[in-house]
Amino acid sequence: MTTLAGTDAVATTPTLRAAARRSRFWVLAGVGALLVAIAATLLAGAGSGGGTPLAADNAAPAGARALAEVLRQQGVHLTTAKTLDEARTLAAASADPTLFFTDPNGYLSNDQLSTLAGLAPRTVVVAPDFLLLQTLAPSVGFGGVADSFDGPGARCDLPAAIRAGGVAPGGKTLSLPADSAERGCFPSGRGSFAVVEVALPSTELTLVADDGIFSNEEITASGHAALALGLLGASADLIWYQPTLADVAVTGPPSLGELTPGWVTPSILLFAVVFLAAAVWQGRRLGPLVAENLPVIVRASETMEGRARLYARSNARLRALDSLRVATVQRLATRVGLSRLASLDDIVLAVSALTGRDPAEVRFVLVDGVPARDRDLIAQSDLLQDLERAVIDASGLPATAAASAAPPASPPATTTATDTPTAPGRMDL
Amino acid sequence: MTVSGRFTLLVALGVVPIVLLGSSPAVAGGILALWLLLSVGLGVLDLALAGSPRAVRLERSLPTRVRLGETLTSLLYITNSGPRRLRALVRDAWQPSAGAGNNRTSLTVPAGERRLVSLPLTPFRRGERRVDRVTIRSYGPLGLWARQATLEAPGRIRVLPPFNARKHLPSRITRLKELDGRTSLLVRGQGTEFDSLREYVRGDDVRSIDWRATARHHDVVVRTWRPERDRRVVIVIDTGRTSAARIDNETRLDTAFEAALLLAALASKAGDRVDMIAFDRRVRGRVQGAQGAELLSRMVDTLAVIDPELLEMDWAGVPAQVRAITSQRALVVLLTSIDAAGASTALLAVLPQLTRRHTVVVASVTDPTTLQATHERADREQVYRAAAAERALLDVARVAAAIRQQGADVVTGPPAELPPRLADHYLALKLAGRL
Repeated sequence: MTTLAGTDAVATTPTLRAAARRSRFWVLAGVGALLVAIAATLLAGAGSGGGTPLAADNAAPAGARALAEVLRQQGVHLTTAKTLDEARTLAAASADPTLFFTDPNGYLSNDQLSTLAGLAPRTVVVAPDFLLLQTLAPSVGFGGVADSFDGPGARCDLPAAIRAGGVAPGGKTLSLPADSAERGCFPSGRGSFAVVEVALPSTELTLVADDGIFSNEEITASGHAALALGLLGASADLIWYQPTLADVAVTGPPSLGELTPGWVTPSILLFAVVFLAAAVWQGRRLGPLVAENLPVIVRASETMEGRARLYARSNARLRALDSLRVATVQRLATRVGLSRLASLDDIVLAVSALTGRDPAEVRFVLVDGVPARDRDLIAQSDLLQDLERAVIDASGLPATAAASAAPPASPPATTTATDTPTAPGRMDL
Repeated sequence: MTVSGRFTLLVALGVVPIVLLGSSPAVAGGILALWLLLSVGLGVLDLALAGSPRAVRLERSLPTRVRLGETLTSLLYITNSGPRRLRALVRDAWQPSAGAGNNRTSLTVPAGERRLVSLPLTPFRRGERRVDRVTIRSYGPLGLWARQATLEAPGRIRVLPPFNARKHLPSRITRLKELDGRTSLLVRGQGTEFDSLREYVRGDDVRSIDWRATARHHDVVVRTWRPERDRRVVIVIDTGRTSAARIDNETRLDTAFEAALLLAALASKAGDRVDMIAFDRRVRGRVQGAQGAELLSRMVDTLAVIDPELLEMDWAGVPAQVRAITSQRALVVLLTSIDAAGASTALLAVLPQLTRRHTVVVASVTDPTTLQATHERADREQVYRAAAAERALLDVARVAAAIRQQGADVVTGPPAELPPRLADHYLALKLAGRL
């Protein structure tokens, strides 16, 4: 009787405290790695030139924070709008607003663009797209990139353009037909201009072809700053409107999310938690696995099977048949009363005498037949068994040799291999 | 720590209030959060109220020995030394081949009390079966969360060889008594010893009449004889790599154990002294100088823990081992395997050393599937298989002939047959007085 009484059994499972102490290093290392990753992401994010182009709070090269800050310093009240509704509210609240608008992603539809044109007395559009030109100024087209502008001065009567004096070459332009009513500033030949002023009934629309002119990167070049400040600082209120996805009109049938009842998403979350709990419930092992050394299991007949496959793969018909013959001959020798070492001719003669078969035929079965094909091999093997059975019948029941199929009454101990009668019907093959 | 199925169900039930009351996503989300908080709160409370699985005393009561195939009961007493009631699921972590079946028991132990876990074991492999640990999972009163600890509680049982061959023992002992002269039939042989003289009764062999004594006593007197006694039998069991081969779902080594046990039982009944060694490159087990019932118990005890080693048998060391056991003439039984000629070279090389001084019997298991394969010749695969089987049998026959040429006897048989055949061979040797 094994007794462990007296004291509590020793636990091999570590306590929570011990487990925490042991895994402290890894927990700390993990937290440290997480902190490093967060810090690296933040630092990398600050250095990259992301953000919306021409946004008023974007300090990246493509942003327009420089322009916005200068406008604020000059006393212009700048407010940003993210949707058309916001812009409309702001415009309604102001007595004399100026609207800055740029939409590089083309979010607004032509209806919304028509609405836009009626918001403020002055509207400055930077980098207008095709839809906007079609809607608001159908006569204005795209003019390509200007390598240089014609002569000094704006060559128009727009005050801000006159004060600016010039723009840097290399930007996009807009084209006007020769007989149009619109005014163009900063011509670059062939009827293309950097700034186009369109007088609409509801607003004074100024189209600035190139978005680089207002950006932080190029605002100081040539007369860009004077042009931008002159256009946008014309009144005390400036609405800085850049459309977002919220402006895109919702169309089509309601989405799956709108159709589902409110409890569906929480239920899915609940079932995720149930899944976790079930995983812990079923996955937690009741103690460690028990190890046990198991013996090697080798079947003794494997060498025999392996040799058989070798014979079969290399088509060693004669070698296989020899094995069968040698074994049969030895058994027959004992059966006919000769020694195991008797000569083959003696055995052939004895067997033929016993069974009454032709010695040549017996010799063919036991010695001479060469199997050319696998079918021959099977046939020869059958002949061997046939002969062996005939000898057993003849020697076991000499008086009634004709009566077949009776097994020998008491076979000698040395011929156990021949005791079992072969299966009938096997000879068909 | 772990959770129960009940806790999973509790969390899943949260879907009812969420569906019934959660009209909008925000409300439903709030219900979800509250329900999870409630479930986890109940779980934590349950965990805090669960009895400690560490404050437990364990005692074991085990029989030390069991025969392979028999069933024993492992008793484990669990004393709760903690202040709270222990609602536990207990796993007694026996090795798989101890045959424990379902080794999980759920029980409740009030504080300070003791409970018994009894587990029926039916080992299905010989040798020493161990248990090292007991795992206790302690649930709280609500059965939601549980604490778990694995405790050390070592125990071991020794599973002895089955000795199925003992069914052959009574008939062999009867035949032994027939040899012994205690029955009316007197057996005379070349090596039998003169026992006594007695009066002739009808039925006695007339050849055993002692004419000189008859003349002296004026009555017909016969001599009686009895077989030799107090001979030495040395059993050498090969535990090398070939003994690992499995024949009829039994390793050669197990068959060798059966044969050795039957021979030892018979020989000790016949008054001979039996010694046994299990050997490959070193001695794995040795039983020497034991008599009677002690001999068998010591043998099964020694053999229980011996497994085949993946080593080549060192036959060159065997004569020295036999010499260390006895310097007299003895019957040396080598329980090994006879395979191919190449593998048996070492055995054949040392046999003359043994046969010069002793009577040697080489016993080997044959594979009945090989014999069976020689008869099955229905198709191409089977004919080749039969050829390979015949080749294997021829190899065995050649090695057996070589062994006989060296002066030793060969006993072969399938696993069920080898032990009685070896016993019969021993009786035959005894009858012939060749011991």
